[in-house]
Amino acid sequence: MMELRGLSKSYDGRSAIADLSLRVEDDEYLTLLGPSGSGKTTLLRLVAGLDLPEHGRISLNGQDITALPTYRRGLGFVQQNYALFPHMSVADNIAFGLRNRVESPVSDEQEVERRVAAMMDLVGLQGLGNRMVGQISGGQKQRVSLARTLITEPKVCLLDEPLGALDANLRERMTVELRNIRQSLGVTFFHVTGNESEALAMGDRMIVLDEGRAIQVAPPDEIFDRPATVRVAKFVNSYNILEGGVTDGVFVCGDLRLPVPDGGADTRYIAVRYDTPSFEAEGTDGAAGQAGLTATFLTSEFMGSRVVYFFRSEAGTVFEVERHLSRSDPETFTGGDRKRLGWPVSETLFFDGNGDRLVVTHARGAA
Amino acid sequence: MSLSETAGAKMADGGTEAPKQAFWVRNGHFLLLAPGVVWMILFLVIPLIMMVYVSFWTQTTFAIKSDLTTKSWVTFFASETYFGALLRTLRIWLTVLFFTLLIGYPTALFIGQFVRNKTVQTILLVACVIPFWTSFLIRVLAWRPMLGKEGAINIVLQKIGIISEPIEVLLFTELSVIIGMVQIYVVFMVGPIAFMLARIDESLIEAARDLGASAWTIFRKIIFPLSLPGVVVGAIFVSVMVLGEFATAAALSGRKVNLLGNIIVTQVGSLKWAFAAVVGVILTVVMAIVITTLLRVVNLRREL
Amino acid sequence: MHRLTSLRWILAFYTALFIIFLYGPFVVMAILSFQQGPEGGPQFPIIEWSTFWYKHVLGFAPPSRIAPLPIGEALTRSLTLAFATMVVSTLLGTLTAQAFRTRFKGSGVVFYLVVLGMMVPGVLLGLGMALVADQFGIQRTWWGTAFVLHVVYTYPFAFLVMLAIFNRFDRSIEEASWALGVPPGRTFRKVTFPMIFPGVLSAMLFALTLSYDEFPRTLFTGGNQVTMPIAIYGTFAVEIHPNLFAFGVLTTLFSFALLVVYGTLMSLSIRRARARVSGIQEDVT
Repeated sequence: MMELRGLSKSYDGRSAIADLSLRVEDDEYLTLLGPSGSGKTTLLRLVAGLDLPEHGRISLNGQDITALPTYRRGLGFVQQNYALFPHMSVADNIAFGLRNRVESPVSDEQEVERRVAAMMDLVGLQGLGNRMVGQISGGQKQRVSLARTLITEPKVCLLDEPLGALDANLRERMTVELRNIRQSLGVTFFHVTGNESEALAMGDRMIVLDEGRAIQVAPPDEIFDRPATVRVAKFVNSYNILEGGVTDGVFVCGDLRLPVPDGGADTRYIAVRYDTPSFEAEGTDGAAGQAGLTATFLTSEFMGSRVVYFFRSEAGTVFEVERHLSRSDPETFTGGDRKRLGWPVSETLFFDGNGDRLVVTHARGAA
Repeated sequence: MSLSETAGAKMADGGTEAPKQAFWVRNGHFLLLAPGVVWMILFLVIPLIMMVYVSFWTQTTFAIKSDLTTKSWVTFFASETYFGALLRTLRIWLTVLFFTLLIGYPTALFIGQFVRNKTVQTILLVACVIPFWTSFLIRVLAWRPMLGKEGAINIVLQKIGIISEPIEVLLFTELSVIIGMVQIYVVFMVGPIAFMLARIDESLIEAARDLGASAWTIFRKIIFPLSLPGVVVGAIFVSVMVLGEFATAAALSGRKVNLLGNIIVTQVGSLKWAFAAVVGVILTVVMAIVITTLLRVVNLRREL
Repeated sequence: MHRLTSLRWILAFYTALFIIFLYGPFVVMAILSFQQGPEGGPQFPIIEWSTFWYKHVLGFAPPSRIAPLPIGEALTRSLTLAFATMVVSTLLGTLTAQAFRTRFKGSGVVFYLVVLGMMVPGVLLGLGMALVADQFGIQRTWWGTAFVLHVVYTYPFAFLVMLAIFNRFDRSIEEASWALGVPPGRTFRKVTFPMIFPGVLSAMLFALTLSYDEFPRTLFTGGNQVTMPIAIYGTFAVEIHPNLFAFGVLTTLFSFALLVVYGTLMSLSIRRARARVSGIQEDVT
């Protein structure tokens, strides 16, 4: 178990990590989602010992490692650009840590070879051991980088945007493989990414990092369904966010009139998932428990299994609606069409002026 | 070797091992720097300071005393021979600088811009460097049989029939010194310029061409400005070498052309240390002005 | 487009002329090195083709009024000096460049202090050092006062070469090695050094060449025992003979040999890396 307590780090007076505390459990897949500039890389470098925090402690299985140099930490670090040793073959890259590490190096060459072969099997590099690293593809480099780290049996393996440089196809395959590899080894993965779907798909638990702080730590489905703040809702990239104000118990934004439930009196923002709204005929508005707004159709995008429709709301913001084709046929609109978009009030998330989500109770039987 | 990378060992708050490691991190690079800096201070800075100091000593025919005087300085500026040498040095320096740029730039342009094959580029640059493997002094001396009255150039020109009488002004004149210097130093101009030109992103030029810019406009607005750091670096190289020259002048002018460097050599030869030091200080000042001016145009550290 | 093609040919032609200009004196020198000896002078016309001057340089020619070049001693001195200079300046250059990999206060001052070494004309430095030696009663020798100035001259070149190499060196590769549990010292030996080796080699070559051919600094500080360039400079005052040209041709050939060695070393280091491909593992040390 790794524990970070009150970590802070700033560069040239600009705070990169601010008072961050976190527990990383054994044998879990932890993803960290943060937009660029949120302090992701800094956090990893602090944990890896490549940078030093100004305040706070890092402990690993009860031992304080805050001041320990990188090579004594027993952590793995898979870099974004792979950072392979260009003057060595694939096999030598993978064997490098075993042979040269300061703590319990393996000097028996047969043992090294055996473990390298086993690791190459695990990550899918069979038969490439003799290639130089310049002669293999990006996906293979990624695997070498991973194998090189995992073979040293780190207590925690840090992965810095490991899929960032791969193309979409490969990315999807590696997503599955990373999970399988981790499970078969039982090692903890601490996977940092700027891609929300990656973070949601991979992790047992997920951290959302914003401006150097962990703003939500929860299982991915919880973060997706109940983002703690409006920023988290924005990062998971699945919510329309509308800003407005409550007057006389009704949230007003453009032509939207949404009666707020109990506890929602301080609402400043509401969030509506892309796949919630339905297209309604003009004038069918006003049913109990339904909210709706009028929006102008801009364009639509066909994404294979789904279609995304882009509208402009009366308030001027872009409003997205997503339709899964398994559930309904695509609709055709022409640009400039005015449509009525409706959704159940109970499917709406409410946030106050600080961006924190409000816990609301929907009146029973209103529908 | 490992000092600067122990960043990982630096301290947060407290910790047992920490203070010692923090010391290495904070001061590691000083240990790496110390040998070089000490060497340069002892053997570069102190000799230069000594030179300034000695230039104010009292020089008699047979000895030198550390009584301070400006006599040597007065002698320098009062003497037409010596002051003339300063002017001559500046004149020859500017001429050589001009011609190395004029002759070197087209070659650099060809190597850097028109040859896009890296191997051919390297071969051409190596071809330019090979003559440097012959001792500098021998290369200078080789100009004598080139330029002499019965030298290669006169023979060839007479054979072709361009001239009937051998040209005599080629050797043992200021001209021969300039020809020799230009040939010897022009490569120091070609190298940096070609290097900068080769770094220009080709898409930049293509984009300009797509926008309808003429070849001349592209050169004036894109290629030349981007090659300027190379020109400056080349100019620094050439200036440093030409200003401190004495061998070429000694070998090709038949001792008729005396540069500041030649004066230093003769004065040291006759043990006139104070006077040699005066000339040295003047040369240093000229040098400092030239180099700081050039460095104002380009940041040497950034161009690496 | 058409104009650019013709421009390319004009420039190619010009470059050819330029290279002829560079090689002209060298060719003339090579021709005259085969001048008849010992009466033939270093000028045209060639009285009779002979290899006399080559024999003269190598000490095989019958004694004549022309003193042989002091190859035995002077050349040995020059090579020893160049080798020592190469080792020291490459070491200093690498240390300093390594320090420059982390930002520190005053780096600008140190940078220009080091670069100053190659910018100060040799004759000034030689004069300054001679003054210091004269004043403090230090004996002027090629292995003492001249050697330290050679390093002052070549160390900045080695430093700049190494700085350029380190600038392009991807730091994360070293970090990867530390993260694998390999301490910094071993990381330098196993990862950093093999990767910067070509750079170190060119820094060494630079230093060797510059020091071997150095003479303005040596002139005032080398003392009585001359190095090769000083011996050649000595002939300026008296008459010159084609033996210098023969020597020039020989040194050029020697330099070629040196380049071949350099090239072989380079390709060897590449091949050694490739050799791993066939499964040959280097032992762990």
